[in-house]
Amino acid sequence: MSEAMRRPVGSRETFGRKSMVQELADLTAIVLAPVDDQTTLLLRELQRYRMRVQQVWPMPTSVPGDADVVFCEYCPDLARRLPWIPGDARSALVVIVPAAEPIQAEPLSHATPNAVLPRPFTPNAVLSSLVLARSQFGYERRLRSKIEKLDENLRSMRTVERAKAILMATRQMPETEAYGFIRRQAMDRRVSASAVAAAIVDSFELLGYDPQH
Amino acid sequence: MSNSLQRTTAPWRIGVLFSRTGFMSVIEETQYRGTLLAIEEINAAGGVCGRELVPMSYDPGSDSVAYGHYAKRLMIEDEVSTIFGCYTSSSRKAVLPVVERLNGLLWYPTLYEGFEASPNVIYTGASPNQNSLALCRYLMDNYGSRFYFVGSDYIYPRESNRVMREVLKANGGSVVGERYVSVHARWQDFLPIVQDIRRIRPDVIFSTVVGEATIFLYQAYANVGLDPRKMPIASLTTTEAEISAMGFDVGEGHITAASYFQGIEGEANECFVNRFKTRFGGDVSTNMCVEASYFQLHLFAKALEQANTLDTEILRAMVLGTTFDAPQGAVTINPNTGHADLWTRIGRANREGQFDVINQSREAVHADPFLIGYGRATTQAGNTQ
Repeated sequence: MSEAMRRPVGSRETFGRKSMVQELADLTAIVLAPVDDQTTLLLRELQRYRMRVQQVWPMPTSVPGDADVVFCEYCPDLARRLPWIPGDARSALVVIVPAAEPIQAEPLSHATPNAVLPRPFTPNAVLSSLVLARSQFGYERRLRSKIEKLDENLRSMRTVERAKAILMATRQMPETEAYGFIRRQAMDRRVSASAVAAAIVDSFELLGYDPQH
Repeated sequence: MSNSLQRTTAPWRIGVLFSRTGFMSVIEETQYRGTLLAIEEINAAGGVCGRELVPMSYDPGSDSVAYGHYAKRLMIEDEVSTIFGCYTSSSRKAVLPVVERLNGLLWYPTLYEGFEASPNVIYTGASPNQNSLALCRYLMDNYGSRFYFVGSDYIYPRESNRVMREVLKANGGSVVGERYVSVHARWQDFLPIVQDIRRIRPDVIFSTVVGEATIFLYQAYANVGLDPRKMPIASLTTTEAEISAMGFDVGEGHITAASYFQGIEGEANECFVNRFKTRFGGDVSTNMCVEASYFQLHLFAKALEQANTLDTEILRAMVLGTTFDAPQGAVTINPNTGHADLWTRIGRANREGQFDVINQSREAVHADPFLIGYGRATTQAGNTQ
């Protein structure tokens, strides 16, 4: 690769989207760790990415849950201190792991972190944990919202099927055309296909039309 | 970590989450009792693989959010992976993220609206194809096709009414009214509704009112002098427990579809009812929720005996396909959906606060939570008698 191909970190505007590092700017981070040289390094690194950082110590009984990323010192009862229930996290979580002191697997797993950051910190390790946590947390959230939408679609499919049957019978439309009609109406009206289908079904029911008979 | 090869007599710890206080306690207390009775029976018979079952139980006080927090506490602090509990869909949905994220197993002994199949839940109450379909058919054949919907305002009644509306429309019926009341509704909240019913004169009132509010609906109905022989309240949620709370005279003549009634015949049920009454007093009835809570524990114990571990992956694999001779008849956990194949019955409340079975399926009806084959199921779920 030539020198010219190598772009400085943080300038990928040509690709039409922000680089990962640019995306970090103005995110909020809470660091739950005692002030020492290590923590100072961590805070400095986060600030270098232009994140808005807040450091908290001693460990509160309830971890503040309103930041984009939470860096939190490992402790055996960490899960209990998190303000959310597992499966419903509100921040990306990085657990800070001690260098020598042994930790236990269960408490770590129960806290469901998105990444870990072992001591001693290095700039590379900080960036790695940050990128991993953000990406895993975001992906999990997208999957959850996808499942929610699928659930909703599954239910609305039934309505769409019935609307389709009504159109096929009353307008003598073939199946594909009936679908197309519902989709077009939805696009024109800027509402969901299931909303259009529900309106069709309701209005025909109001007129006493029954597709089954 | 314990060595799995080593023989141990340490108890199996399991979680129990039912509201014994608050507006849902009228039914959840009975589910708690069904759970407790089964645990005591299993322990009296020597436990599972020689180990006792020990319930870790919390009372979420009818607050859905609290179910999520107690589920977290059970799984993280009490190190429990299997939880028995929940009545309302809101409480199940609060526990769901916890058991899914930490890979636990929730046993849910309550009828619900369907359209869910989590790998971390075993559903032992009825899905709509196991109660709504047969109920709709029976009501249309015997009373008429104009239905008036009354429900508590939360997920289950709205979703369940959506299914009922669909089935009703498909059979040529119509919904002539639809009203929702708060789960905290008092008796005066039902006055405008029964007035409206008196004006509209539907053929059937279809109720998905739950908890304490059930009592007020039936009482309001009786107070304005409506006649259950001509226009019954038909319900999926009114059990012997609610009938007992509202008064036998108030409940008489109204209809419920359920997998189980205390009054059904059979030796398994007779034994169950006797043991329940010996344990909790002669004047309390069993009901569909007690029975589901009870049989799901026995079914769990049967699977655990095989698995010899509470590890969710292994235990669930053992549970799927397991059959148990429940008080309602033989039930099986359907391997496709994790839902129980249950019996469909329709009962009419009599003067003694019990239900006379007026219609029942020939065999257990396959759970079809997504109503995939519902066109066929309407006829399958049909009747003997």
